[in-house]
Amino acid sequence: MINQMQTTLIKKDLWEITSNKRLFSVLLIVPLVFTVVMPSIFVLTIALTPMETNDFKSLLNLLPQSALTGDLRHMMIGLLLNNILPLFFLLIPIMAASVMAASSFVGEKEKRTLETLLYSPLSLKQIFNAKILASFILSMMVSLISFFIMIVVVEIEIWLLMDIMIFPDINWLILLLLVSPAISLIAITLIVRGSAKAQTMEESQQRSVFLILPIIILAAGQFSGLMLISSWLLFASGIILTAIAILAMRGSFGKFNYETLLK
Amino acid sequence: MKAVIVNNLSKSFSPDKKAVDDMSFTLEEGEVFGFLGPNGAGKTTTVKLLNGMLSASEGTCRVFDIDPAANPAQVHKLSGVITEHAQMYDNLTGIQNLVFYGSMFGISENNSNKRALELLDSLGLTDAKDQKLGAYSTGMRQRLSLARSMIHNPKILFLDEPTSGLDPESSQSVNNLIRNLAKDKGTTVFLCTHQLRYAQEICTNYGLINEGALLATGDLEALRQLIFAGMTITIRADRYPEGIHFRKNENGYCEIDVQSEDEIPTIVRRIVEGGGKVYHISARKLSLEEIYFALTRRRKEEKEVKR
Repeated sequence: MINQMQTTLIKKDLWEITSNKRLFSVLLIVPLVFTVVMPSIFVLTIALTPMETNDFKSLLNLLPQSALTGDLRHMMIGLLLNNILPLFFLLIPIMAASVMAASSFVGEKEKRTLETLLYSPLSLKQIFNAKILASFILSMMVSLISFFIMIVVVEIEIWLLMDIMIFPDINWLILLLLVSPAISLIAITLIVRGSAKAQTMEESQQRSVFLILPIIILAAGQFSGLMLISSWLLFASGIILTAIAILAMRGSFGKFNYETLLK
Repeated sequence: MKAVIVNNLSKSFSPDKKAVDDMSFTLEEGEVFGFLGPNGAGKTTTVKLLNGMLSASEGTCRVFDIDPAANPAQVHKLSGVITEHAQMYDNLTGIQNLVFYGSMFGISENNSNKRALELLDSLGLTDAKDQKLGAYSTGMRQRLSLARSMIHNPKILFLDEPTSGLDPESSQSVNNLIRNLAKDKGTTVFLCTHQLRYAQEICTNYGLINEGALLATGDLEALRQLIFAGMTITIRADRYPEGIHFRKNENGYCEIDVQSEDEIPTIVRRIVEGGGKVYHISARKLSLEEIYFALTRRRKEEKEVKR
């Protein structure tokens, strides 16, 4: 359970990141790119590219035959919204969780405020829990807000350009409620585990590359048509990622004591 | 109950050097204990051991009968700590910082605010309370740290170089605050400093350390006993009687060591009876600084003999 003192710490951490212009702009710009700029480019491309061009046809050839039904443009928008964007979307919780966790753990060390915090009557585990929760809350908030902005922007665009409305499918539900929380926790754990060694926030944020790389590979796979993420596959990966997140988090608690943290 | 008990405490960071070397001492409740030695002598390491931030290589310590290694959070409830590396948030104002740390000790926001205002007032920071900490000078930061360490009315304060970077006036207000805290509230103060003259002004007991080892503990009189319990008399006269061994100091005055002040009139009488005129006479006991240097010299000599 979270006590009053931990709540104070969580509030302070959240306030701190939103009042830091540099970090807050990262938290704004990255989601904007993945939820507004990039989807808009895709939507515009689909809406404005003549269907007869070779590029368009070759892209369609890559898709499984079962997917090729009905209006081609609608189908393309559907694939974009429910298969391609979800993967790019995953970069948002990773980024938000990493920036927040790095600021919250390594940032305190860098600013020499961590030691002061350790002299409080909270145990090391309580401090860690509060900080992990603060990073998790921020990551989830940024993800949810980004999702709603993206849906609004994409829906308006396709309605204006193509006079259609295509809604997000179950993939998004799995993504928002399972995969994205799990991957946030993994990103936080990676940063936390590195926090004892890392001396600067930048150094610590670099660890999130380990998570971003597989997602970029998956996204490339989506584009080349090699694999389309099915809902079941997404659900299964969500479960596996959650298990990894819980195990990794439990495993990292034992590694810390005051001495290793303050080195 | 003893405020602090340290038994054969050692801490080494590398196999060949002990940062704290077999220390044993106790602190009574309400004592202002000066833990004195040069930079790198092991003062901060001892504070960290007493607050559970470091685990001892050998020996034990207890703070109000709590083992800090086993129950650091329990010790933190009772203690307020200032060290060079325990800073506050630059992007919060002075008062916001204090209220935050007050809340971290479970004090309601309202009470934290009240207590913070009192502390800011007693440390002369009221005018700067709404300034961000980033705009504070070193001295102001140091005073705010002191306020932070006292926000939860701790039973024991660990102050590591509390007056470094302070101007004489601020040092004075810090001194008064520490003195009153011990006198009125019975707070125990564990004060680490390398400024021996400063320590002599406010401490009631001392622990002198060098290279991680405790040289001596006790009040000033007890420490003087270890070197020279008497006093040194400085005299300026136009002639000095024979048979008394004076030594000249750097100002051209003569000095003589005596066991007690009862010997002073005899010396003056002999000068006057010998036809001399006395222009100046003063007596003083060994200062903490002199005791410290005499003890380190002695330790060095003992080490060399052992070799």
